[in-house]
Amino acid sequence: MISALDGPVAASAERRVLVVGCGVAATAAALAASRAGAAVMMLDGGTGASTLSTGAVDLLPWEDADRARSGLPADTRGALQALGGYVLDEGGTRIVTSAGIVRPAYGRDAALLNVGPLSGQRIAVVRCRRPGWDADALAPAWGPSFEALDAVVLRHGGEDVLPDADLAARHDESGRLDWLAHRLREAMSAAGGRWAAVVVPPLLGAQRARAHDLSDRVGARCGEAAGLPGGAPGLRFENARDRALAASGVAYARARVRSVHRCLTAWRVIGEQGQSFDGGAVVLATGGFIGGGLEFAPAEASLATALPASARRAIRLTLDASVALGAYGRPLEVSRSLFGPSPEAIARPFARDALMDRAGILANEDGSVPGSPGLFAAGDVVADAPRAWLAALASGARAGTAAARCLGRSLVTESAQSSLDGEPASRP
Amino acid sequence: MAEGSVPSLLPPPVAGMALADGSGSDEVDVAIVGGGINGTGAARDFALRGLRVALFERNDLAFGASGNSSGMIHGGVRYLSRSPHVTETSCRDSGYIQRIAPHLLFRIPFLMPLRSGPAARVALELVDAYFRAYDDFQPLKRGEPHCRLDPTDLARLEPGLVGALAGGVSFDEWGVDGVRLCVLNALDAIEHGARVYPHTSVESVARSVRGDERSRYVVDARDRLDGTSVRIRARAIVNATGAWAPVTAGLIGVPQARVRVRPGKGIHVVLDRRIANFGILSEAIDGRQIFLEPWQNVSVLGTTDDDYYGDLDEVHATSEEVRYLVQGVARVFPSVRLARAIGTYAGVRPTLYEYGRNEDALSRNHRIVDHGADGAPMVYSMIGGKLASYRLFAQELCDLVAPRDFGVNVPCSTHTRPLPGAERVPDAVETAATYGITPVAARRLVYRHGGRALRILERAARRPSELDVTCICEPVLEAEVRHVVREELARTVDDVARRTRLGLGPCGGMRCAARCGQIVAQERERSPAEGRLMAREFIHRQGLARAVALGPQQARQEALTFAHLDASLGRSS
Repeated sequence: MISALDGPVAASAERRVLVVGCGVAATAAALAASRAGAAVMMLDGGTGASTLSTGAVDLLPWEDADRARSGLPADTRGALQALGGYVLDEGGTRIVTSAGIVRPAYGRDAALLNVGPLSGQRIAVVRCRRPGWDADALAPAWGPSFEALDAVVLRHGGEDVLPDADLAARHDESGRLDWLAHRLREAMSAAGGRWAAVVVPPLLGAQRARAHDLSDRVGARCGEAAGLPGGAPGLRFENARDRALAASGVAYARARVRSVHRCLTAWRVIGEQGQSFDGGAVVLATGGFIGGGLEFAPAEASLATALPASARRAIRLTLDASVALGAYGRPLEVSRSLFGPSPEAIARPFARDALMDRAGILANEDGSVPGSPGLFAAGDVVADAPRAWLAALASGARAGTAAARCLGRSLVTESAQSSLDGEPASRP
Repeated sequence: MAEGSVPSLLPPPVAGMALADGSGSDEVDVAIVGGGINGTGAARDFALRGLRVALFERNDLAFGASGNSSGMIHGGVRYLSRSPHVTETSCRDSGYIQRIAPHLLFRIPFLMPLRSGPAARVALELVDAYFRAYDDFQPLKRGEPHCRLDPTDLARLEPGLVGALAGGVSFDEWGVDGVRLCVLNALDAIEHGARVYPHTSVESVARSVRGDERSRYVVDARDRLDGTSVRIRARAIVNATGAWAPVTAGLIGVPQARVRVRPGKGIHVVLDRRIANFGILSEAIDGRQIFLEPWQNVSVLGTTDDDYYGDLDEVHATSEEVRYLVQGVARVFPSVRLARAIGTYAGVRPTLYEYGRNEDALSRNHRIVDHGADGAPMVYSMIGGKLASYRLFAQELCDLVAPRDFGVNVPCSTHTRPLPGAERVPDAVETAATYGITPVAARRLVYRHGGRALRILERAARRPSELDVTCICEPVLEAEVRHVVREELARTVDDVARRTRLGLGPCGGMRCAARCGQIVAQERERSPAEGRLMAREFIHRQGLARAVALGPQQARQEALTFAHLDASLGRSS
């Protein structure tokens, strides 16, 4: 592409890693690259799956994880520490959800209660009027050691319909936490007996997880159940991210990225408003379908009356970049229908291990994109990556480290041919 | 003719049928098989005439064609040229349904644009004349007469219409929630003494060994959810199983050839909101008439009509059918492509059998088959029919059966007596203020339940947490979920969704299915695990119906829905 976009690249920019995205993979990449000594800039294009998370921290979809509990990838623990606000419990984590199950996880948002070590002990489930929260249905669903407990948790009028995140924000205030602790102690002693822990709806802080503070005040472990998407854990993630990025000096800009292309010795990233950013390496961590990094765009969606000139891939990256999309370790094929593929063949629940859950950028283990030296991918946008929080974090950390290391190496030495005749990378 | 002297296809009499309970509570006058609109309509009519009725439905009420129709009790303008009496009876009965369930009906004005072309002027004259004839029937259903529109009118009324248009007409139809109509008929029947058994499959119908007229038939049925069996003695049997009619005939032991239907699969695509103020008629690529209609909170594209040979309990739309409809409507209303398709639904029409005709040309008429001639006295089949004329069909059956077989000469009253909740329909805004719920929730609640909305809210006023919104898309209050389980025979999350539209909106049950499962399990005193299983089944079933209409925006929602449900409820299998 020859255009005004191909202006000169500042020498300093070649020493910089650009991270496209702002979710957990992008954050891990930015922190890792920064720790490896690179200057880093994060381009925030809006929220995605990380902000919609409900606080469970998984390496694989958890039902698979239960069957095959593998070790943590090397960089995970460090990346989680750098982010802050999350816990990897020794001996695993068990989380209760507002859908009524107790499920395993690798770790958790620190506000969530780990009920694993409490097995057999009496756990209170507070009765309170919050959307979708019915202690009398949840306690028996979670198990015999859970008991519904009458407690005053809501303090002000209207809190019964306040969004999760807003109610959580009110609990950042220490006075409110004191009040809540007092109410919970009152309730527990009124009910009598010994209580090992208290489960509350997702409301324990927006800035930070307040579970620990509350537990200290109450004298029993307190924590949240995992609730609906778009609640307090997502907000806490964003705040943890902002703190961690600020502490490590990562620069930040709001930009929805339109294209990423090579520009002489660097990579140039163009935003939708025409902003341009240069860097020696770029990590694409734009999320999958949820985050908007990938798009399902069958031809018919844009069809007026005429069919497109040729068949095309129905799954595409939402930004322009010279990367190959694939799934199952192979490049994506063009559908032999001008209208696009049959959803029955590629989507859940018709297809098991569906293409829609696997498609993404074909990348190597360290996130590097074959044939595009200096370009990396991490998180849900990567083909065949498990769509799981902790897996995204780990892949972000790997890609960030690798991106920092490749800075300064000449970008023109590797053959651009390799993307065409090389073996596509496969992931475990 | 003495009984037994006619060669009968019925199985031989069953011995040892003595029942423990001699009180006669297991005896009814009429056993109806099928809980669609024909079965529930007939149950209500029989019950209002004082006959004892039992109704068996293998799945849920309105599970088949009745709950998956275009949602109109339209006047059958399509049938005007071929069978004008179908149009007339449809219009007249549409008027009656307005009288007995005013809260359930909403006006859908339609536009029929005609594209410019060599014969457009002639076509417009013909259409104009055609609708002038239809206007004669409109007063029967309080419909407005048609208007002839020029291209400027069309553009003003519906700016989304594209292409060179020669003009068009407007006409007037009524929308209805077919499931609610079935449920209300069943409820009224129950309130007049009928027994209704949903999820209960009839396993056999045998001639009683007693042979007396009071208990001629023994119906054995099994509850498909909990496995319990039900035995009912009935004097008369009605097969009202729609597309299942020949299958049911086999169970009863009457010749299938006498109740042949030509099952015609019809699918609809649901868009996330009302994208037009008018229903819009369009032509599919094969010249068939299809439409886009604003319907309750959503828009609906319909419909296909294809011979169906598959499993009647598992009817699903395919992406092929979805594309056919979207292509056809997009030709005149292209923004249909930009809207998010949030699902599909499919049903199988029980059209009267004919060989060698195109599906669209088949009659929508109905027919009562008297199986007396097949050696099965007092066994009847209701074949064919349309939602709009269900009441008339039921009346015809009861007018025949009640006096002849039971000596009951009570006249039909199904067209004058209001359905449950229709006696007095409260004002939604006032209701919202009285009970402290949002006007939107109140409006939806009053739409579905009429005056019974107050009964639901009264109960909830004593238990304020039941005023919480369980499904925010529709919205559905927790109290309504509990009500349909307690009072409207809902037993699963699917059943609740059918009656309340919970989980059928844009979020696809992501936020409400698990909670609904908890409530149903609580109300039915089942284990929490059973509630979760119901939620998963609902999600799986809806997932199949959504995936076939997958577009760019919905792909994003699907990914989120599955990610959330996997994390909070466990992966559905």
